Amino acid sequence: MPLPNRHALGLAAVLGAMWYAGASQSNGAAYLLCFLVAAVAAVSAIHAWANLRGLTLRVEPIRPVFAGEQVLVPLVLDAERGTTPHAVRVDAGDALHAAEFPEIAAGHERRATVRFAAARRGLFSGARLTATSLYPLGFFTARRVFFADQTWHVYPRPEGSAPLPASSTAARDRREGPRAEGDDFAGVRAWLPGESQRHIDWKAAARGQPLLTKQWAGESSGTLVLEWNALAPLDVESRLSQLARWVVMAERASLNYGLELPGVSIAPASGEMHSHACLRALAVFTLP
Amino acid sequence: MTWPRTRRPGAVEMAPLAGVCAGLALAAGPLVDRIAAWVTALLAVAIVVRLVLNHRSQRLPSLPTKLLLLAAGAMGVAATFGSVVGVEAGLSMMLLLVSLKLLETNSVRDFQVLTLLGFFLALCDLFFSQDLLMWLYVALVLVVLTGGLVRFHRRAGACSYARAVRLAFTLLLQALPIAALLFLFLPRSSVAPPFRLAPSPLASQGISDRLAPGSVASLAANDAIAFRAQFPDGTRPDTADMYWRGPVLWRGDGLQWGQGNRLSEEAGARRLAGSAMRQSISLLPSGGQFLFALDRPESAPPSAAFQAGGWLQNARPIVNTLHYEVTSRPENRQTALPPDHLQAALALPPRLSPEAWALAASWRNGAPTGRAIVANGLRYFHNQPFTYTLTPGAYGENALDEFLFRRRAGFCEHYAAAFATLMRAAKMPARIVVGYRGGEYNALGDYVIVRQADAHAWCEVWIAGSGWLRVDPTEAIAPERVSAGLAPRLQAGAPHSTAARGVRMRGNLARQAGLAWDSINYHWDLLVLDFDEDRQRALFGWMGVGHFARAAIVTWSVLAMAVLLALVALWLRRPARFRGDAVSRGYERFCRRLAAAGVAREVWEGPLGFTERAARSFPDQSAALRRIGALYVGLRYARTPPPVAEFARALRAMPALSRAPVSAAEGV
Repeated sequence: MPLPNRHALGLAAVLGAMWYAGASQSNGAAYLLCFLVAAVAAVSAIHAWANLRGLTLRVEPIRPVFAGEQVLVPLVLDAERGTTPHAVRVDAGDALHAAEFPEIAAGHERRATVRFAAARRGLFSGARLTATSLYPLGFFTARRVFFADQTWHVYPRPEGSAPLPASSTAARDRREGPRAEGDDFAGVRAWLPGESQRHIDWKAAARGQPLLTKQWAGESSGTLVLEWNALAPLDVESRLSQLARWVVMAERASLNYGLELPGVSIAPASGEMHSHACLRALAVFTLP
Repeated sequence: MTWPRTRRPGAVEMAPLAGVCAGLALAAGPLVDRIAAWVTALLAVAIVVRLVLNHRSQRLPSLPTKLLLLAAGAMGVAATFGSVVGVEAGLSMMLLLVSLKLLETNSVRDFQVLTLLGFFLALCDLFFSQDLLMWLYVALVLVVLTGGLVRFHRRAGACSYARAVRLAFTLLLQALPIAALLFLFLPRSSVAPPFRLAPSPLASQGISDRLAPGSVASLAANDAIAFRAQFPDGTRPDTADMYWRGPVLWRGDGLQWGQGNRLSEEAGARRLAGSAMRQSISLLPSGGQFLFALDRPESAPPSAAFQAGGWLQNARPIVNTLHYEVTSRPENRQTALPPDHLQAALALPPRLSPEAWALAASWRNGAPTGRAIVANGLRYFHNQPFTYTLTPGAYGENALDEFLFRRRAGFCEHYAAAFATLMRAAKMPARIVVGYRGGEYNALGDYVIVRQADAHAWCEVWIAGSGWLRVDPTEAIAPERVSAGLAPRLQAGAPHSTAARGVRMRGNLARQAGLAWDSINYHWDLLVLDFDEDRQRALFGWMGVGHFARAAIVTWSVLAMAVLLALVALWLRRPARFRGDAVSRGYERFCRRLAAAGVAREVWEGPLGFTERAARSFPDQSAALRRIGALYVGLRYARTPPPVAEFARALRAMPALSRAPVSAAEGV
C-alpha cells in the first residue's frame, strides 16, 4: 500500500487546522471541508496504488563492470493492458540516478538505464529495483519492488603499480587475425560501446558513417602468465586488483596471457572473451 | 554575512503552474473584501510575475528580495490594520505568504505546499459564508487545486489539463461518501476556543443598537438574509403583522437613538396574552448579539437573556448560524412600569426647540386618553406633507426640527425617532424598537425568509393601564407621498422588503426558482451545517448505538471507511475497455470476424501477412480482404493515408464468410 510521505505531514497540519477550526468554532462547514479533504487524500492513496498496479518491469542483461564503477541496469517498462502508470520513477538504490517516466502506455515499451555504484567485486544477482510514484496527489508514495533475474559480475578494481611481468621468451608465435593493435591496417568493424575510442575511424564518422573501429594485423607479442604467487607480499584484494590491472594491460597490448590463481588456472590466450574469462575468475575468486 | 546567491530556476511546466495559480486566485476571491486591497493586488502581481518568469524561463527572486518583500508586507499589514493578528490582518498576512511562496515555487514540495495553502484559503472562505452556493464554490476550488496537483504529478506526457481535472473530479466524487461517513460518525468534541472570530467591524452587518438617520435606509438595498423562521405549530401570522423584535432603544437625542444606561429587570414585562406562536429561527451570523423573535417573546432560548424592553440578547456574538426556538404572544399586559424605566422612557434631549414643544403640546391638549395623544401624533404625520423616501438627504444641526417642520422627508428611522421624541415631550413614555418587519413566505419549505432589507424601526408608547402599545408611525404617511418604488413596503399584506426586491421579481418563475433555491439552502443549513455534537448523539441513539463507547464507534467508522476505499479499489481494477481510435476498432472487429470464421490472427502477424493468409483461405473474398489489409496499412503507415471512410466502407462491404475456409494451412 502507498505510504504517506513528508508532504503528507503538511496535509496533516492543514487537516488539523481545519478540524480545530471546526471544533473550536463549532463550525460544521469547517468539519465538512476537513473530512472532504481527508477523504480525497484517502482516495488518492487508492489511486496511487492502482497507478503502479499494472506496471511491468524487465531487466536486460547487465554488463560486467569494475568495482568502483557504476552498474548499468537496462530496464524495459511496460504496462498491463488497460492500465497507464503515470509519473513512474525507477531507481536501483541510487536515487540520484533514477529514471523517470511521465506515462507508460500499455503495449508501448519504454526503455531506460538506471545505475548504482558497484562497491565490491563478485558475482551478484537479483538487483533490487524500486518503482515509486507520487501520482496523483503527491501525499502518498506508491512503491513496488522488482528483483531483476539477471546476474552480473563486478571485477576487482584494476589497481596496483607492479609492472607487467616479462613475457616468456619462448612461444613468440605469429598469430593470424585482426587485432586492435599491430602493424598493418586490416580493415574496420563496428565500434562497440565500451571499446577504446582511440581506434575509432573518426574520418569515416565525420563522413556520416556509423562509428567504426580500425583494426590492425600484426605480430602479437609473447605469452605470459599472470601469477598470484608473484604478488606474495600483498593482501588478497590488492593482489586481485593488480592481477585485474595486468589483465587489462595485457589485453590492451594484445599479449597472449594466462592466469594462475590458487585452484584456478586459465591457459594463455587473448581476445575479449579471454580477458572477460580472466576477470570473471578474479571477480569470484576465494582462497581455497 | 553573505547571502546565498543562488536563485532558483523558474522554468516549470506551465499548465500545472497556471492551474495552481487559478486555484489560489479562486480561493482568495471571496476573501477580497475582508483583506487589504493592496494585498489582493499583490497576489495578482505575484501570479503575473511568476507566470511571466516561467514563460521566459528566468530565475526566481533571490532570498534577500523575498525577505525584503516579506518585511515590507508585514509592515504594510501592520500599518493597515494596526496589528498582524486578528482576522483581517491574519488573512492578509496569509495571502502575503501565499504570494511569496508562489514567487519561489519550482519544486514538488512547493506545489504541495501551495495546494495546501489553497485548501486553507478555502476554509477561510467558509468562515464568512456557509451557504450552499459558497459550498459549491469551495468544491470548485478543490477540484481546480487538486486538478493542478494531478496535472503537476503527471508531468509532461500526452495529457491534457482536462484529463487531470476529470481525475480530480473523480477523486472528489469518490471521496464524498467517505466524507459523509466521517461527518456523521466520527465523534465530535468541542475544544475550548483559543480565539473567537471577533465581531469585527467588517463582519458585523445588519441591525445595530444605534439609530441614526440613514442607518436603516442603508440596509434597504441589502438582500442578504438575516434569518429564516419556521412555525412548527402552524401559527404563522400575516406577513404584515410580523414585527420581529430586536434591541429596544431608550435614550433619544433628536434623531439619534441608542440603548442608554442599563435598566433594572422589568417586573411583569413578560405578562403576555394572545395566542402563542412558536418559532424556530436560524439566525445567520451577523457579528451582533441580538436574537430576533416575533413581538413579543415570552421565553428566552438557553444561550440568551432578556434585556430591559423585553428583547433577547445572546451571551456571545453570533459568528455561526444560530438555531433557536422561541415562543411569542402578541399582546402585552404589563401593568406597572418601574421608576427607572419610566424615567428613561420620558427623558428628553437637552435641546428641544420651542416649535417641537408646541407641537407636542398641541397633541396633548384636549386629548382625553393616551391613545388619543398617539392618534393626534399619527394624524400629524398623515396630514402634513411627509414623504417616505430612501434618500432624504443628510440632516445637520437641529435635525429633528428640520425633519418635522421643513424637509419632511425620511425613512422609518426618522419617523420612529421623531415620533418617540415628541411623545416624550407630550409626557407619554416612549421607546424605539429596532428589528425587522414582514418577510417572504417560502411555501416550498414552509418558512419565512427575513432579509436585511426588511429592517425596520418602530415605537412603543406606554399607555397607563394597558401596557406598551406598538405604534408604527411610518404607517401613517399618506400613500400618495410614498416615493416611487417604496409603495409596496407600506401596503398592508405585502412583505416589507418587496421594494428592494422589486427588480428581482421580474417573473413569478424567477421568484419561484429563487425560493426553491433558498429552500434547498435552508435545509442544507439545517441538516448539514447544523449537525453538531448533540445531533450526532441523537443520531447514535436513533441507530441504537448510543451506549457504545466512542472507541467502538471510531473502530466501526474506520472499518466502514476501509470498505468504501476497497470499493474504490475494486472500481479501479475493473476490466479495462479497449479504447482505440475508429481505425483500430474497425480492424479489431475485422480480426474478430475472421477468427469467428476460423482464421485467427496470430500475435506476431502483421496486417498484410494476415490478410494475405485470409485471402488464400477465402479465395472468393480475396480481393476484398486484401483491400482491407492494404487500406489499414495505408491508414497506419502511409505518408498520405486513405480516407477513414473508405476503410469503414470496405469493412461494411465485406460479406459474410463461410465457416469452412478452403484450407487454413495452405501455403503456410
